Amino acid sequence: MSTNVTVANRRLKISEGWLSILPVIIILLFIRFYPMVMAVYRSFTNWDGMFRNDWVGLKNYIQIFTDSPFWMLLRNSLVLLLSVPLQVMLGILVAVLLYEEVRGWRFFRTIIYLPQIIAAITIGYLFRVAFSLDGPVNSVLRFLRLDFIAIEWLGNTATALFVLVFCLTWFSIGWQAIVILGGMAKISPEVFEAAKMDGANYWQRTFYVVIPMISRTLEYCIIMSMVWTLTSIFAFIFTITGGGPGYNTSTIDYMIYTKFYQVGRPYGFASALAVILLTIILAITVVEMRVTNKASEWE
Amino acid sequence: MLAKINQKATNVVIFLALLGLSISNLYPMFYMFMNSVKSRTDYYVNPFSVWGLKLTWENYATMVSQFKIFDLFKNSFIISFSSIVLLLCLGIVASYAFAKLRFKGKDVIYLLVLATMFIPVQATIIPLYMMFSKIHLVNTYWAVIFIYVGMFIPEVILLMTSGFRGIPDELIEAAKLDGAGYFDVLRYVIVPMGRPAIILCIIFYFIVTWNDLFSPMILLQSMDKRTVMVALAALLSRYSGDPTFQFAGLVLASIPAILVYAIFQRYIIKGISLGATK
Repeated sequence: MSTNVTVANRRLKISEGWLSILPVIIILLFIRFYPMVMAVYRSFTNWDGMFRNDWVGLKNYIQIFTDSPFWMLLRNSLVLLLSVPLQVMLGILVAVLLYEEVRGWRFFRTIIYLPQIIAAITIGYLFRVAFSLDGPVNSVLRFLRLDFIAIEWLGNTATALFVLVFCLTWFSIGWQAIVILGGMAKISPEVFEAAKMDGANYWQRTFYVVIPMISRTLEYCIIMSMVWTLTSIFAFIFTITGGGPGYNTSTIDYMIYTKFYQVGRPYGFASALAVILLTIILAITVVEMRVTNKASEWE
Repeated sequence: MLAKINQKATNVVIFLALLGLSISNLYPMFYMFMNSVKSRTDYYVNPFSVWGLKLTWENYATMVSQFKIFDLFKNSFIISFSSIVLLLCLGIVASYAFAKLRFKGKDVIYLLVLATMFIPVQATIIPLYMMFSKIHLVNTYWAVIFIYVGMFIPEVILLMTSGFRGIPDELIEAAKLDGAGYFDVLRYVIVPMGRPAIILCIIFYFIVTWNDLFSPMILLQSMDKRTVMVALAALLSRYSGDPTFQFAGLVLASIPAILVYAIFQRYIIKGISLGATK
């Protein structure tokens, strides 16, 4: 009798658990999983969103790799990924500064996170204005008699990419600093004191105490900001360069967006781009986790 | 003695470094605001000027009367508000299950739910657009709301599950012994005890959904449904536009998120720094 009750109880528990997560699973199946599977399937077709939907095998992929700006998009993404080490390094620096809890540090912490609150289009627009030909940056450069670098920043691929890297870095320092500061909260203050007693200076403390002790946090920061750079900077590119000139400052996700509006609706092609983007993100996450696991084994 | 002076000097240097960084964050906002209350001529004469100007609120007046920015605010608010309500309803129930209930396959499902975080919305947007157009949801708030719920529910569950895990099991058992049903437990134990995580989700996803551009830009093309960010992005992409007018729009659009941040920044900072340790 009593076993029957427990069995019934456990059944109830099982169904209670499953019923609780069922709505989420349904939403994820419809909004995330189904479209992803469809993107994979459509990537092998010449789909135009309406009538045309023939199987074309690897044609889209071959076209992407041989006859499209794909390699340029990839190069752009790699260049933009340069902002990740910059962000993380500056983030560590700022976190270490905040950790000392000098006067007003709470206020500084609030302000340092502020860019994250401002819409990306606002920040993008401010950067576009700042780096325009007669914009504030060039005015300052001319004032400093540095006319030769007061150039049209956004008209030239290399400098436009530089402006984007600068923008992404500036935008993300606050997030990095706050997350790293959160990681540092787990280091016991005695460790710091001991390092100080041993005569470790500021830089030694940062490199030999802080960084090794927050490797998990740093791993999180690096993965998150890499994935973010590959997938979530649409609004910045849209407002700063519009992906141009041509596709010169576009990324893979930006090209998917332009294909959406293109005449002839090459949605099969766009789906193949989407699959490649997915694969890259998956690869980064897996590799990154492997590497950090290895690194912590070496210690 | 020397060490003390050294420490003091270090603190001054740190203070100045943080001050410099803060100014680099605040000045662009100040620049944007100052120029939004200048006339176009004053702006072109000197965008840095601060003193001795005739300030004008004309740009703001035009933003309200011509650009109808408050109608756009309404669209953004409806989308953010509904997304948050749905995220909370689904998130609280699911996180309670993940944190406190025992059932088969829980860990696998939990990982699968979190893994969907890494699917970029751009990779799914075209099939989604087609799906929504089949069921006549394109150009409705629902399209964007559903996308937001799908995109952000894994993060909400991550935040809330780790928050709810800290609630003592004894409290739940005690409530059950008192005859509390499933929803009573949620209402009288989980929601009050898990309040920090819930408040964080409300604030954080208000800011995120308010500022988002990509999904509403694709799915809301009709003028009367656009969010404020979509409408402003369209305005900004006209290079001939008047910068002082555009600044005014951006300032107005920044206010709700900044207000929320100003009031709740402690929750946000705490949440962000805790999120990483999970």
